[in-house]
Amino acid sequence: MIDRFLYLVSEGIRSLWRTKTTALATISAIGIAASFVVFSAVVGENISGIIQIAREQYEFQVFFSKDVDNIRAAELVDQIGAIKGIMSASLITKEEAADIFQREFGENIFDLLEENPLPPGSVLKLQQPKNRKIEVNPIIKQIELVEGVDEVRYQERLISLIERYYEGFFAAVTALAAAILFGTVILISNTIRLSIYARQDLIRILKLVGATDRFVRFPFMIEGILEGFFGSLLAAAVSYGFVEGSNYFLSLFTQYRLVWQFQVVALLVGVIVFFSFVGSMRAVRKFL
Amino acid sequence: MISFNNVSCTFGDDAGIENATFDIEPGEFVCIIGPTGAGKTTFLKLIYMDIFPEEGTVRVDKYNSDKIKKRNIPMLRRKVGMVFQDFELLKDRSVFDNIAIPLHVLGVGMKMVKEEVENVLERLGILNRRDHLPSQLSGGEQQIVSLARALVKNPLVILADEPTGNLDPAASLKVIKLLEEINRDGTAVLMATHNFSLVKDRGYRFMQIVDGAVHT
Repeated sequence: MIDRFLYLVSEGIRSLWRTKTTALATISAIGIAASFVVFSAVVGENISGIIQIAREQYEFQVFFSKDVDNIRAAELVDQIGAIKGIMSASLITKEEAADIFQREFGENIFDLLEENPLPPGSVLKLQQPKNRKIEVNPIIKQIELVEGVDEVRYQERLISLIERYYEGFFAAVTALAAAILFGTVILISNTIRLSIYARQDLIRILKLVGATDRFVRFPFMIEGILEGFFGSLLAAAVSYGFVEGSNYFLSLFTQYRLVWQFQVVALLVGVIVFFSFVGSMRAVRKFL
Repeated sequence: MISFNNVSCTFGDDAGIENATFDIEPGEFVCIIGPTGAGKTTFLKLIYMDIFPEEGTVRVDKYNSDKIKKRNIPMLRRKVGMVFQDFELLKDRSVFDNIAIPLHVLGVGMKMVKEEVENVLERLGILNRRDHLPSQLSGGEQQIVSLARALVKNPLVILADEPTGNLDPAASLKVIKLLEEINRDGTAVLMATHNFSLVKDRGYRFMQIVDGAVHT
């Protein structure tokens, strides 16, 4: 069994070597095309890290109605904290609001107005879903529906800008990856088809001596998978060059550096190999 | 071992076979004669089930043409060795590698493959050609390699389709003698040829195909 497997793998490598010019063209095409996906994924992962930091700064301030006292405010904070998407809600009592006023304006509100008109409130932090846009508006609507809430303030423009770019970037990378993976399937499929045409003599002899369809197909599958594997390694190498080049460029005006994401690259190598398998399967099913 | 029962079949430019009924027993040496295009290739293709009869049934060992499943055809072919006029060798592989192919298909271990291939090379007298490419061999030697490839898997029967068609008289005689030797060791041989003078008076059973009719 192992001997047969080793023989078939060696036949796959031999077949790859026989069609080396076509294979090299395929590997180069996959490598260069997929390098954009790998690079985008690495950049995406880096941007994702930056966006997570930005998201940690998202702060929602909720002001309660003037007639809400501190006890009622604490109840409202509990109620708001239970809303889906909210990570934490902390109470700002009327007294704490006065302290904040003094810190920010340097004046004591009692000295100015002889009373404290500031309402109690709450400061909220949102949960941060990874690789997904935060939907702010539904959360705001739910908070506004809570009886006793007077106003919700947040950095609406900044948040919507960050979330829109975040979503747009991932949509673009996903579309690019889908197109390139589809291209990989077609490219591998065509290369294997050429290889099948070039090996008609071997296929005929194998069938005459009693080889099963699976036996005849296996080396071509190996060939396609190897092309995908080498193509993805080339993509990893090229994208590493992109990352280093980008870091050099970034070093001219910022201290920020892209970090090479080995896990992301390994995952993409696996995905490309899988789609190469699909392409090979398509060719052998169709032409053998 | 091989039975044709009212078999009719046409294939390509061959005249085909009409209503043929006969049996071939294990260990027989049968010579199928007839002019080019008479249906000899059709006859052999029916045996290794590359084509199927339009009427009647062909039985080879336990496999019946009207019942065999597609997945069992490779199993049948593992019991049949084939030799062709144009040798059908892989030009980029050594003699050893060409002969080893059927053993790899059978899943024989690497060590055993080496042993079996070298045994058959020695038996057919071409061990010294082990590492040569087919292009480095004469026509006669290439046909012996083809014969070795058929023989290495110990088949029940060897089907030889015009095995001497591309050979000079001396090489032809050598191939015929090797086929006889293989037959003496118990393997049935079915040889198709249009060269009657080469095979007459050698004590074979003859089957003649004329205009699709098989005369036994």
